[in-house]
Amino acid sequence: MSEPVIQIEHVTKSYGTGGPVLRDVSLTVAGGEVVVVCGPSGSGKSTLIKCVNALEPIQGGRIVVGGQDLGDRRVDLPRLRARVGMVFQHFELFPHMRVLDNLCLAQTKVLGRPRAEAETRAMALLDRVGLHAFAEKHPGQLSGGQQQRVAIARALAMDPMVMLFDEATSALDPEMVSEVLDVMVELARSGMTMMVVTHEMGFARKVAHRVVFMDQGQIAEDAPTQAFFEAPRSERAQQFLSKILTY
Amino acid sequence: MPTRPTTRTRPATTSNGVGYHWNWGIFWEMSPEGTGTYLDMIVQGLRMTLITAALAWVIAFIVGSAIGVLRTLPGRMAPLAASAWIELFRNMPLLVQLFLWYFVFPEILPAAWGIWLKQLPAAAFLTAVIGIGFFMSARVAVQVASGIEALPQGQRAAATALGLTPAQTYRYVLLPMAYRIVLPPLTSELLNTVKNTSVALTIGLAELTARARAVQEFSFQVFEAFTAATLAYLVINLLATMAARWLEARVRVPGYGRA
Ligand SMILES: Nc1ncnc2c1ncn2[C@@H]1O[C@H](COP(=O)(O)OP(=O)(O)O)[C@@H](O)[C@H]1O
Ligand SMILES: [Mg+2]
Repeated sequence: MSEPVIQIEHVTKSYGTGGPVLRDVSLTVAGGEVVVVCGPSGSGKSTLIKCVNALEPIQGGRIVVGGQDLGDRRVDLPRLRARVGMVFQHFELFPHMRVLDNLCLAQTKVLGRPRAEAETRAMALLDRVGLHAFAEKHPGQLSGGQQQRVAIARALAMDPMVMLFDEATSALDPEMVSEVLDVMVELARSGMTMMVVTHEMGFARKVAHRVVFMDQGQIAEDAPTQAFFEAPRSERAQQFLSKILTY
Repeated sequence: MPTRPTTRTRPATTSNGVGYHWNWGIFWEMSPEGTGTYLDMIVQGLRMTLITAALAWVIAFIVGSAIGVLRTLPGRMAPLAASAWIELFRNMPLLVQLFLWYFVFPEILPAAWGIWLKQLPAAAFLTAVIGIGFFMSARVAVQVASGIEALPQGQRAAATALGLTPAQTYRYVLLPMAYRIVLPPLTSELLNTVKNTSVALTIGLAELTARARAVQEFSFQVFEAFTAATLAYLVINLLATMAARWLEARVRVPGYGRA
């Protein structure tokens, strides 16, 4: 594998005065790698994803993204975040803007792209996620699955060096899950570096290089995909797998 | 057999007991001020009310939005400062605030400034604009902050994750939706601003209510004078409400709020 894109080293994190939510977490994502993160609710998956984008501060350890230490005061965080794509459970499209404007806003305001260039890029990406015809619509006029595909296109418009997904399909009606997973699989196969929090084990088997299992703020297991599914070493991962795979 | 009590209709009399003479024609008569008719007095008052309310609203909207944004910023200092502003200006009666600005404020300034301030030709007008503006800014701030807080937490995160700065996040993402959400309560705060200008008659501002009272004092036509003022307030409110409805329809987001 090539250069690491994300290096998480001995990270400790707590919210306010509460107890630690991440405890000595270390994880590396190399360029072109697809890492799936799973684990029970409350184990700290969302928190970890947010820390990678410096949306949440950490109390110990360090996180290096694209060679830049997030804790370094000289790092231009908005510029760095612009190159880290993020997809949320609830899409978080901006409801008052047309789909096209959702895709152009950060391109023009953060990257400083001319509007025409931003629109060309936006239309190409809408095409890629199969929503070329919806550019003039508002998010509220789209289905959940369509909105999430727009959200992915919006993140891709920034030419990210890595894409973070936080349960991108868990707020969707069942019939819309596959259209979003299809886009994510295509993205993974195109060589995008991805860190994906999901319980879609089919997706993990298909494209993940590694699966990370989190429990109570710690990484309980970090294994190549095949090894993880065939012979999870930790007991907690075994229990978790049996629970979500048996039904 | 007990006699049935006669229903007493309130006689149209003034306090001295003389029968009241309705005279709607009064408005076309010259007022003793020598600057025009009684109608002109009402119109002058109306104009003063509109100008005062409009400028006070500009202050209330700009300062209120800024304070409202401060209240929703991360960290502790900004929200604390915003809350202090809101509590200070919202909880003291407007009348007291106007008196403080008008009578007390010039006294606590260095003497020369105070004298200069008191001699300004439009002292009452400026005091009313600033006093009502700040008073209303506290109420606008509460509305703006509640609009921002009504948005999903993920909106701010999504904007930040795209690389937008906090200022850009508010400008392009949070405020456009927050204002839409609180447009109806903001409209009623605008109407409150108009109504509150009448308090400024206590510091001598020649606004609508003050002028209606002057008409009554010169002509003794109390009902006509205050009917005219009431109608004027009513028309302002109607126009403002219609404008707000039009704005609401114009900025409505297609598909938003759909179940
Ligand atoms: N903003 C927050 N403030 C305080 N506690 C939080 C916050 N977000 C998450 N937590 C707590 O941190 C722990 C991990 O949460 P989270 O990262 O959302 O887990 P997961 O995504 O794996 O379900 C939970 O106990 C949760 O209650
Ligand atoms: Mg989560």
